[in-house]
Amino acid sequence: MTSEIMKTFHEVAADPRAQMDKYIAEGKKIVLTAPVYTPEEIIHSMGFVPMGAWGADTELDRAKEYCPAFLCSIVQSILELGITGKYNGASAIVIPSLCDTLKTLGENWKYAVKNIPFIAMTYPQNRKPDFGIKFTRAGYERVIRDLEAAGGKFDNASLAASNKIYNEHNAAMRKLDEVLAAHPEVSAAERSDVFKSAFFMLKEEHTALVNKLIEELEGSDAVTGKTPVLVSGILTDAPALNEIFDELRFHIVADDVAAQSRQYRTDVPAGDDALTALAEKFAAMDNCSVLYNQEKPRVDWIVETAKAREAKGVVIVMTKFCDPEEFDYVMIKKACEKAGIPVTQVEIDRQMTHFEQVRTNLETFKDLLSM
Amino acid sequence: MAEEVKKAPRPVDPNSAKYKLGKIAGDAYVNAIEAKKQGKPVAWVSSNFPVEIPETLGIATVYPENQAAGIAARGAGERMCDVAEAEGYSNDICAYARVSLAYAKLKECPEQDVAMPDVLLCCNNICNCMIKWYENLAQELNIPMIILDIPFNPDYEVSQAFIDYVGAQFWDAVHQLEEIFNIKWDDKKFEEVTGFSCRSSKAWLAATGEAHWTPSPFNGFDLLNHMAVMVTARGKAEAAEAMETLLKEYKENHEKGVSTFREEEKYRIMFEGIACWPYLRATSKGLKSRGINMVTTIYADAFGFDYSSFDEMIAAYCSVPNAINLEKARDKRVKLCKDDNVEGLLVHTNRSCKLWSGFMPEMSRQIGEACGIPVASFDGDQADPRNFSEAQYDTRVQGLMEIMESNK
Repeated sequence: MTSEIMKTFHEVAADPRAQMDKYIAEGKKIVLTAPVYTPEEIIHSMGFVPMGAWGADTELDRAKEYCPAFLCSIVQSILELGITGKYNGASAIVIPSLCDTLKTLGENWKYAVKNIPFIAMTYPQNRKPDFGIKFTRAGYERVIRDLEAAGGKFDNASLAASNKIYNEHNAAMRKLDEVLAAHPEVSAAERSDVFKSAFFMLKEEHTALVNKLIEELEGSDAVTGKTPVLVSGILTDAPALNEIFDELRFHIVADDVAAQSRQYRTDVPAGDDALTALAEKFAAMDNCSVLYNQEKPRVDWIVETAKAREAKGVVIVMTKFCDPEEFDYVMIKKACEKAGIPVTQVEIDRQMTHFEQVRTNLETFKDLLSM
Repeated sequence: MAEEVKKAPRPVDPNSAKYKLGKIAGDAYVNAIEAKKQGKPVAWVSSNFPVEIPETLGIATVYPENQAAGIAARGAGERMCDVAEAEGYSNDICAYARVSLAYAKLKECPEQDVAMPDVLLCCNNICNCMIKWYENLAQELNIPMIILDIPFNPDYEVSQAFIDYVGAQFWDAVHQLEEIFNIKWDDKKFEEVTGFSCRSSKAWLAATGEAHWTPSPFNGFDLLNHMAVMVTARGKAEAAEAMETLLKEYKENHEKGVSTFREEEKYRIMFEGIACWPYLRATSKGLKSRGINMVTTIYADAFGFDYSSFDEMIAAYCSVPNAINLEKARDKRVKLCKDDNVEGLLVHTNRSCKLWSGFMPEMSRQIGEACGIPVASFDGDQADPRNFSEAQYDTRVQGLMEIMESNK
């Protein structure tokens, strides 16, 4: 589909630097937010523009001075962009230590990108009991102290307001995800743009656009004839990947992608203390490879969602060297097979220029689903 | 054709540290198998989980990392990795995890059999990979998993927030185990166990510290074997006693002018990283043949669980090598290098360990600079033999030796 709103999403997603420059020109300060989860609500409430730093599809050169080859390319490309000045102008970067490679990103960042201060966000994995919530809150307090050093000001009322803005955005994104499941005419590339652009806009601005898009879609007729699939992974924004999805006429009816719907599943609960409420949000989060859960509910979530959305198959988009996802893959594969849902895995990374193996894999998968 | 005459193995003195330590390590596996037969609980435990918990509660323990290292050293790493990969596990995943997940499927491996677990005790102060590995074990074996989460500490000191969080989890883990197995915590036993743990740690630190003598009274490769006891049994009386014997022997070695490093010690290096278990002999020979003694490793510091209060014990578990920031990790290594008159640093870029290797290039640059020593690295793996090249290792070690020589 083509619309003015889609065009805007595409422009923002394709050129985050332009967005960053726009906000800086407006006198706003930028704080970069690394994968997978950061307390954006705090950053937003303290007057900064949180801007996602998930790297870029680029050749790695300077990052190799710091990283062995077997670290994931998302993290390596974030470092590459930092070293080569692509994030210049940012006031800080918040990096959580939710996986081993992210731990090393923070440590390397301090020496590789000295002009953008590193702010560590330490989340607990035992996050649900009271002691876990207290520890999350302590982690947030540490982030606040560092953001104050970067020129921000914290107060409970502002955070409560930001929590509300983020909850509204979550609701809009969840609604959009549902609406998109009924509109195959929206391409995979367009879907990716809508989700990706959320990282580069103030959430209140993004919510307004998403709500307009929902309205537009609800007033239009759906086009059928595509193959419905559920897509899972960390990141699926590579244009070449989405081009293949579109050429093969796949319709993404649901996603379990860390850079997409996983961000929006959980709201900040009500509460007088906005910071504790935000910590409770983290406690309530689940269904993600970097969040410990002995029961691995993510596996069932994928199976049940695939069934509910009538996906014919599940495509696992594996970011090379992402071990949290690689461990989960085995369980997801077994559960899908048990449920009679076809599943395939394609491997991608930020340095890939040739997607022929991915194409062949997805072509075969499409044939299989058409039988 | 004449039959090859094999040298009879040198008899080991039953009063020696080597014998005692070997027996403790071996007994740990046997005891767990025996406990299983008797219907007593067995736990699979990650290496830096507080041993004070299972030891006090009388739960038999198996350390899958030790098991995987043993399997790899005995040549079965690739075979076990193949089993895990056939299940769908990527060969990018830590090879210890692959070996362990393969064992969970096969439930046997002649190179190192272990008792199957009733519970999993997971502590991620070594890496978050551990969480994923144990989550999958819990699913595959359908048994409970108890996590003691010790996040990576971005700060130099251990904050009160860390102490409170980890301390609360310690007691939560105890209560969960009491409930699961209908057993009771005993404060007196806990006190005893902590006493042994501290005694073992003190003796270990002192023994490894004997490397400050030139020549060193021991071959650093010894530590790779002895540390198994520090991992698995440091809370036991016999471990404390064996470690004290080790210290005594190293002191005597120095006094007598002998060493377990059987060559002339021409160069002294620090070895960084987990051992390349599938190629232990090759990596050892590559050094020994050049008169290079690996006098220290971070393991010398890693098991310094010497504390005088509960909070100090928690802080010690928050300060293990892979849980600390670059500056603290660097300073610990710089101290070892300086204390032990190290002339070069040899870094194992371990394909299995993203965390250990992920900021090693920057940290080793800083260590080299702070100590004025050359740094060389080689690619390898702790358990998957496919990720190591003997030729590359040899070239890198030769290069390191030449720089050390020119620095003399």
